[in-house]
Order: sequence, then C-alpha cells, then structure tokens
Amino acid sequence: MTFPQWIRTNSEHYLLCDAQDRMARSKGFNAPNKPRGLKDNIWRRVLIPVYHMMPWGLKKLVMQSIPGSHKKSWPRKNFRSK
Amino acid sequence: MKIVMLGGGPGGLGAAGAAQGTDKSAEIVVYTQFEDVAYSPCGIPFVHGKEIDSFDRLFLATKEQYVKSGIDVHYETTVDSINLKKKTIQVQGEGEIGYDKLIICTGWLYKELGIPGEDLDGIYRVKNIRSAMEWDKFLDNVKTAVVVECGPIAVEMVSAMVHRGIKTTLIDPNPWPMSDVVDPDIIEPVRKDWEDAGVDMRWGEKVTAIRGDKTVTHVETTFGDVQADIVILGTPKSPNNDLAKAAGIKIGSTGGIVIDSRCQTSDPDVYAAGDCAEIVHGITNLPLQGLTGSHAYAQGKVAGVNAGGGERIYQPVHVPWGMLAGKTMIGGLSFGETTATAVGMNYIVGSTTGITRARYYPGVQPITVKLLVDPSNRRLVGAQMVGAEGVKERADFLGVVSRAGLTIDALATMENVYSPAIGALNEPIQIAAADAVMKLDGKV
Repeated sequence: MTFPQWIRTNSEHYLLCDAQDRMARSKGFNAPNKPRGLKDNIWRRVLIPVYHMMPWGLKKLVMQSIPGSHKKSWPRKNFRSK
Repeated sequence: MKIVMLGGGPGGLGAAGAAQGTDKSAEIVVYTQFEDVAYSPCGIPFVHGKEIDSFDRLFLATKEQYVKSGIDVHYETTVDSINLKKKTIQVQGEGEIGYDKLIICTGWLYKELGIPGEDLDGIYRVKNIRSAMEWDKFLDNVKTAVVVECGPIAVEMVSAMVHRGIKTTLIDPNPWPMSDVVDPDIIEPVRKDWEDAGVDMRWGEKVTAIRGDKTVTHVETTFGDVQADIVILGTPKSPNNDLAKAAGIKIGSTGGIVIDSRCQTSDPDVYAAGDCAEIVHGITNLPLQGLTGSHAYAQGKVAGVNAGGGERIYQPVHVPWGMLAGKTMIGGLSFGETTATAVGMNYIVGSTTGITRARYYPGVQPITVKLLVDPSNRRLVGAQMVGAEGVKERADFLGVVSRAGLTIDALATMENVYSPAIGALNEPIQIAAADAVMKLDGKV
C-alpha cells in the first residue's frame, strides 16, 4: 500500500467512525465502537478533531492534494442548449 | 488495429462492443478467466432468495452471439502480465500476444479479512455465476449461515437467506448495515425486517477466525463461537488491478487505476474502466472507486470508443443508487448525512415522508425522502430515500438534477405527475425540497 492509499484508507475509516458516532447520538441509533488502542485514539481523538476544526476551503485543499484521477483532465460538459 | 480487453464483465463487454462499433475493421479480443461473459452477477442473490427461478435468466447473450458479432472471447484464460513497452500481454496457454490498444476491465475482489481459516471450503464470495449455481445446490442443505460484514451484496444475501429459512447470523464491526453509505434512519426498516425475521445481528463485533476441518463448521468472534454451515463474505470491494500495478500503470489513492475522462491510463495505449479504475466525483472532485455495473458499462463504452479511434468523454459521477433489501427499497444520490458529516461538509436537510400513489389507491406505499443542500449555492449535494416502491426513478431524476447543478428552489417548485395509480397529488421530493428552502430562508 502506498502512502496516499494508507492516508486515504485510514482517514476515510476514522472520519466515518466519527460521523457514525455523531449520527447515532443525534438520531438515537447504535453507535460505533469506542476507540481501542493507540492508533484508534490518535486518529479519533487528535487527527479527526483537528481536521474538523479546519475551514471547508482548507479541508478541500487537503483532500484535493492526494494523487489520483482528479488530477487528470475531466472537463464538465454543458448539457444546456445555447 | 487489434484492441484487447482484459475482463468480460460489463466494462469489458461494453468496451468490446463500442470499439467494434467505432472501428468496424478492428480485431476485438476479450480475455476472461471465467466460463461465461454477458450475465448479470447482480441477480445472483435474487436466485438464491428464489425471487428469480433460474440462473439461466441472468444470461444476457449467448456465446454464439459473440462469435457471430465478431468479438473473439477467450474463456477461462488467465493473463499473467502486461508489457507496456512491447505492447504485449502474456497469456497462459497462448504465449505472448500483441495489442494496439489495451482496455483493462479486471473488476474487483472482496477485501480479505486477514484472519485464520480464509482458505477453508464453505466460504462463499458471491460473484461468479457457475460457482453460484453450485452454491445454490449447497444452500439446499444449509441450516446455519454467518454473513461477515454488511456491504450491499451482503444486504441482498441476508434477505436471500431469510427467504430460504436459513438461520442467519450477521457479524459486522460497523454500527448498522452499509454504514459507509447509508444513514441509520434510512436503513432502519431493513434492520427491523431482519430482526422480525429472526436474523441474529451483531453490530460492533468481529469474526476473528474461521474454523473447521477442510470445511467451515463455525466462526470464532469477539462475542464467542457461532456455528456455520456456510460463511458469506460481505466485505467491501477492492480493485483487482495487480496486472496493471505490476506493469507500472499509475494507481491512485483509492487503489484504482488513474484515468482521465477518456478512460485513458498513464500509458496512452492503455485504457481502464469499471471497478478497477477510479472515477472523479462530480461534487467534491475527489476520486472514487467501486461503483455500480451501469457505471462500469458506461465507462467501458467510453474506453472502447476512444480505443477505436473515436472521441467520447465520461462525465464526473453523482452516483444515483438504489437497491431492494427484503421488502424495502433504499437509494439515494452522492452524500447522505453520515458521509457529508464525515467529510465536514456544511449542509441543510429537507425531508418528508410522503406516499407513492393517491392515498386511496390500492398498493399505496410510504416513501421517505431526505435531501441534502449546500447552503452556499443552494445546490443538491445528496439524497437518501427509503420506501417500498419508486426509489430508483427518484434517484435517477435527482442524479440529473445534481449533474445539471439545479438549485433546491427548482425542486421546491417542480411540477409533478398526479395520477392515482402511479403518483400522489404531492410529490415527496417537492415537499422535502420545500422543507429545505424554508430552512435555508430561515423560516423554520
């Protein structure tokens, strides 16, 4: 696994855990497991809160910085008649 | 011109047909490791659940039809490697085969659990139709099933096991079914149906080992041992791109092959489509991997046209989706509340529970529609729906709305079909949109 893959896999997983926890609390459903071990705790108690403190523009910048298909040409077609 | 497809799924066959249609003189060759092409693997759980009476119904075309149309399909053939410099592939039993354009459509694999016993007999990874036919006979004698993790295929398989009267235990480390896509309130009716049907659901628990002497007898879990005649894997999709990786083709952060809107990879003579590739999301501009068969087929067609010398581009995706889970339909578009919260997106929710036909018409069903709106531009960023009918059409419609960039105000003032048997006076999408507009305008 490359470093960008590792970052994406982990950030996706822990961001989802955090979001599931918020959803579960606000809507009264089953919550995900509490963080267990050092890795879980660092991601969920430090890195994810830091990410959520960032403004949306900065979050987008961080997400866009990963390598992938979005760095190639993906022109949006205008489907409206002229 | 010789155009070679690796993979006989929707991407590979979409590519083959489109390449042939673009360059009628081209030699079109498809390599697949399986016994068949042109069938619907998505239908397999419904044959297991007895909603469809035969696997034969899942075949879309015969082998003879491909022969007649001039597409040369090599069945049960393994490709070992790709040499980008020489523009060749190494094929078991055939040797080195040249190509002018190569289209990689190698699809996906189940993410393995990385636990002892994964090589035992009795572990079912729903995918190939021939093996599904064998598993279906095996299921006739199965009394206890364990489903490990609850992705979309697992959701369909749990419902299939319920239909067959098989005692099923569902074990998932996540808090609810399809929790990486669906909001808990949307999936709740499905969970409730399973609970009523006696499915033993263990959320937040893990399978730690699969045990048995050659064949599975039980699984070890974080809450104790569970007897199992069969273990059904429902883990997430992982791109099957070892060949591309080994050849030096660029791979992205999702693990999928990096492509542009023409489905061209980092090598100009190689294209990729379907679950082995990563596609750009229309709202966030982030790469995604692991979409639906219809996405794979459409991407395959784009890759095939371009490989054949034509010009076609694939648009960033807004991912309308839907599925049947037991008696309940769920579906949506792009983000739900959980995923929007995960990325930290600012959104407003408009929601309602409406009806699918006139209130007095037989068969009328409730449908819940939840729309997510970006307050900065009033555009739709996601939707989730649950009901017993009418989810697919609404998801498709919202997909176009999102792609066209219409504002929520357009939906809040939309016209709708009213005809007692097929549509109610009030369209639930319009009511949910009006709710969102009230919130956006500070009137609630």
